[in-house]
Amino acid sequence: MFTKPDSALVIAGHGSTLNPDSSGPTLNLAEEIRRRGIFGEVHCAFWKEEPSLRQILHCVDREEVYVVPNFISEGYFTNTVIPRELQLGDAFTRVGRHAVKYCEPAGNHSRMTELLLKRAAEIAPGVPPEKTTLFIVGHGTNLNENSAVAAKREVDCIAALGRYREVQSAYMEEAPLISDWDKLATSPNVVVVPFFISDGLHSYEDIPVLLGITPESPGAASANVANVFAKNPYHLRGRTLYYASSIGTEAGFADVILDQVAAFDASHAA
Amino acid sequence: MRDTTQELEHWLRAGGRRVGQILIAPAGEGWELRHTDDAGREDLTVFSKWEDARAISNLDDAGAFRPLKTAPSLRHGWRLVLPDAHSVRLSLEYFYPAMLGVWLAHRDGEVKPVDLNHTLGRQTGMYRITQKLTHEQAQRLIAKQCRSNGGCLKTILWQISQGICVPLLPPEKFRADATAADTMPLLCQEACNFLVAAARKMVKDESPAVPPTP
Repeated sequence: MFTKPDSALVIAGHGSTLNPDSSGPTLNLAEEIRRRGIFGEVHCAFWKEEPSLRQILHCVDREEVYVVPNFISEGYFTNTVIPRELQLGDAFTRVGRHAVKYCEPAGNHSRMTELLLKRAAEIAPGVPPEKTTLFIVGHGTNLNENSAVAAKREVDCIAALGRYREVQSAYMEEAPLISDWDKLATSPNVVVVPFFISDGLHSYEDIPVLLGITPESPGAASANVANVFAKNPYHLRGRTLYYASSIGTEAGFADVILDQVAAFDASHAA
Repeated sequence: MRDTTQELEHWLRAGGRRVGQILIAPAGEGWELRHTDDAGREDLTVFSKWEDARAISNLDDAGAFRPLKTAPSLRHGWRLVLPDAHSVRLSLEYFYPAMLGVWLAHRDGEVKPVDLNHTLGRQTGMYRITQKLTHEQAQRLIAKQCRSNGGCLKTILWQISQGICVPLLPPEKFRADATAADTMPLLCQEACNFLVAAARKMVKDESPAVPPTP
């Protein structure tokens, strides 16, 4: 693994004004990468929490700054919000005293397929994939047509392996809607893996309601005694349903962030 | 290259003692942090890692999430003992994210405050509607959301637009030099997402209802 003592790393996340767990995975990543001593300094920045994307460069001592979006999809946030708020013009931009290198989002990494399969297998041990429909659930938004692309790409990769009877993408805000899971799936077993960074507002409070496994939002995961994941499997609508934790909480994500830095250097080598 | 840890250490050794609701004092070779209201208390729960600042700062005394860390709602009852200025710096990044860096940047003339109309003017997606916020609404919104008593402790460096101030808040709320010599100011260079989100709600709530299509 490389070392960059003269460079800073900024991991850019979404954050939340409502859910205390949303920023957790991004903060965990920063702590883990800081412990490894690879960069001279490691920071986080958020859209909805602080330090904000507008503030963060004031906090960075070193001139060279790698920014890795800890986002699942290349879409509205990675193409519009983060570049705008950081005042980036391109993959490499000088902003004041900083030279900013804008890397690919974590969710674009090729290891996502492996991590999703690992999650799906762990949440439904002993359940035969050939009798199972696997859903990869994304946010989906009409703000950017790329937002749903990441989930579709992973579905294609997993389907090509031929392990699961069906592999489908579904979304919160655009069709096919995850709330229609029982109409979309034809298998007796259904495994749902949220293609999200955190067990925050969407994956822990919204999607369980859309699936019908809780009548109302269970509240934040960290404050929740009746853990949604501990109640697997759910028997409803004539199926056996398994609901997994968000993919962004996987331990392998620190290496994914570092790989995106290495990939930036490889693709922008002189 | 700036050395933020060294800058912080100089400030502490020169008598810097307060950041927001936190009191800092020498403790052996290192430093201890506690809530300003807890000065003199002996019954505090002791923590010893800078990472502990994350859990301490995340919830208030009632257990509610604190998405805005500069809200005057820091939890009581703890004492954080740290070995050096580097650990203090990292803990402050949890207690008051970005505030150390913004303070140093402001001192060095690097902070360019952005007026509210510019912040709202660049919003897209669900926040584009905030561009309809009137000056009168902005006055009320800022007076409510940013007030130091119950809203946010930061000093505001920006205006609504050039020459349009916020008379509903006291003048010292806008003066970066109004803090005491032993206090690190918490500086707001630009309206945060919390204010933008509140602006969205105000515009939506106060817009005339559109009659249903017959």
